[in-house]
Amino acid sequence: MPETMLRVRNVQKRFGQAFALKDVSFEIRDGEVLGLIGPNGAGKSTLLECMAGQLPMDGGAVLNGDGRPVIAADTLFYVPDGITPWAAQRVSWLLDFFIGYFAGRAELRDSVVEQLELSSFLRQSLGTLSKGQRKRVLVAMGLLAPQPVLMIDEPLDGLDLKQMQELARVLRAHASLGRTLFLSIHQISDAARFCDRFVLLSGGRVCGEGTVKELAEIASARDGARTFATLEEVFLAIA
Amino acid sequence: MPSPNVHPFVWLLRKECRELLVSRSWWLLLFLMGPLTGMPYLSALRAYAEMSKQGGTVADAGEVLSPLTGVWAPAFSGCELAGVFLLPFVAIRIIGADRLSGAAKLELQRRSSPVSRIAAKALVALGGWLIAMAPAGCALALWKYYGGLLHWPEVGSLFTGHILNAGLMIAVAAAAASVTEHPSTAAVMTLGVTVGTWIVNFFAALQGGLWERAAAFTPAAVVGDFQRGLFRMDSTLVALVLVLTGLGLASIWQFTGVRRLVNLARSAALIVTAVAAIGGASRVRLDWDVSQNRANSFPLADELALLRIRQPLRIVARLAPEDPRRADLERNAFAKLRRTVPDVEIAYLASTSTGLFEQAAEGYGEIQYDMNGRLLLSRATSVDGVLEAVYAVSGTEAAKNVQEVVFRGRPLVIDPAGGSTIFYVLIPGFTLLCGVLAHRHFTWLPK
Repeated sequence: MPETMLRVRNVQKRFGQAFALKDVSFEIRDGEVLGLIGPNGAGKSTLLECMAGQLPMDGGAVLNGDGRPVIAADTLFYVPDGITPWAAQRVSWLLDFFIGYFAGRAELRDSVVEQLELSSFLRQSLGTLSKGQRKRVLVAMGLLAPQPVLMIDEPLDGLDLKQMQELARVLRAHASLGRTLFLSIHQISDAARFCDRFVLLSGGRVCGEGTVKELAEIASARDGARTFATLEEVFLAIA
Repeated sequence: MPSPNVHPFVWLLRKECRELLVSRSWWLLLFLMGPLTGMPYLSALRAYAEMSKQGGTVADAGEVLSPLTGVWAPAFSGCELAGVFLLPFVAIRIIGADRLSGAAKLELQRRSSPVSRIAAKALVALGGWLIAMAPAGCALALWKYYGGLLHWPEVGSLFTGHILNAGLMIAVAAAAASVTEHPSTAAVMTLGVTVGTWIVNFFAALQGGLWERAAAFTPAAVVGDFQRGLFRMDSTLVALVLVLTGLGLASIWQFTGVRRLVNLARSAALIVTAVAAIGGASRVRLDWDVSQNRANSFPLADELALLRIRQPLRIVARLAPEDPRRADLERNAFAKLRRTVPDVEIAYLASTSTGLFEQAAEGYGEIQYDMNGRLLLSRATSVDGVLEAVYAVSGTEAAKNVQEVVFRGRPLVIDPAGGSTIFYVLIPGFTLLCGVLAHRHFTWLPK
């Protein structure tokens, strides 16, 4: 079993009196593709923003394998959903800026461009791209970032089936090179395709953590003799 | 492939420069600067030419025919207008757009202080402003071309004043853009601060006292001093403290993952420090009159005599804030006295703001001069009258045998031929062309 890279412990987040996250705890293992799944409003984006240090937590911590608090900027890079940063700048310049400013993985630039099929619009400004193209550029930025853990909010949003499969293949390839990925995905069937393990979040609480098989066992334990074959069934039973 | 040797701050600067080049608000500012500069400049040139025909070179014409107040200050007045009403929107765009687009969420994940981000943005905004001041530079070049002479200390004073004003506006806009969630709120807040400074000026005129003291440091007053060729260290330092405070507040509110209460506490600490620094800076008494006609100084003979007065001089003028005599007295005599006499304290006394119903009151309009218990009462508000009273109470007199070169003005009878074409056609046209080229460069689409 891979070593534990991060331990998320009892993370809490409130907006006013309402709890967005309550005692959220799970582990992220070295080099895995971990999927964060849950219905709309489960707190997935809030959790990622808290972990990335973009929102203050009301309790809990993100620890490294040794149990020490991590400095988000050194360990995690977070690609938010629904952003169009520097819309007027060309894609090629943005990738260069990203590598230069973040001291990113310059050696991966060409391969990332090729893998994500960005070369046809490298000279276009980001704002002129379609939603799917923009998403691929943002994923490319994340892959070029130097931090060992990459968190992406809805990486598959805006992509067609072929692009989804291609992106899944690229992300898996980067995970196999040692990059740890933590992906928030609201389409359960998509998540099931390429994540190693899952954290199931519902109503701001973790309902389950593990592989499809492990989650199915949790669901079976809760629901008597029923058996669960797919992640969707598990999700509907647990969430 | 990006060079690994380039410092991240340089990358930030590059990025901000590129963002400025695609900012429509900046191009619009540049487009408007030609007409905004040309209109007051050309009418000032015509008025100056008419006065030059009438005034000749007699000594009294010196102040009227000073190119600083007659031509250059009007040429730069467009900068003041643009600095207050247009520049903040450019600055808000530079600082606030990253938040709206989500770019800030990416950029702030680098382990570096938000201070460097704000510094890069402020530097680029200031650079953008320097480019926007090019039409004013063009006006100076035209003046030279028409045969006028440039007095560089005065030109430097004008530039300094408008750069300080721009710095203040950028800092206010930066703070507003960081504290608020949306650029429109930031714009309202920035204009609110500008209107607030006008209210301070209004109350200063009505009430005097502390309001008057505060009004001396509003952007309009700071620019006004520099436009008269007076380089005041206290207002410069206060302006710099305010600039740093604004940028500091902007930096504080750029930190992510920090509770609002923590930001409020840090902001309060910064403001308290700034108030203390402003208190210290406003006490600095150091200034330079760089005007050719010594518009902010007494004649040299009087200045030398006043400098020799070592004992404390206390002056109390019983004049209401809105009494026109008080404004004349302050501008023409007391301001110069404060600059010259080493230890002088001037106070105004009045029970109403207008003075209309005090005219008949005993002692209203009197100016009391007190030096070590020696008292003198006077009603004279002219420069000569004030000097006479000061000499009488201090027992000194104007220095004799002082050779002073009298500034006899720089008359210039010219017809600003081609000026309209330059400011109303060429500069806006060139700006438009550059703007279109920049837009095409950044949004180029492959075939």
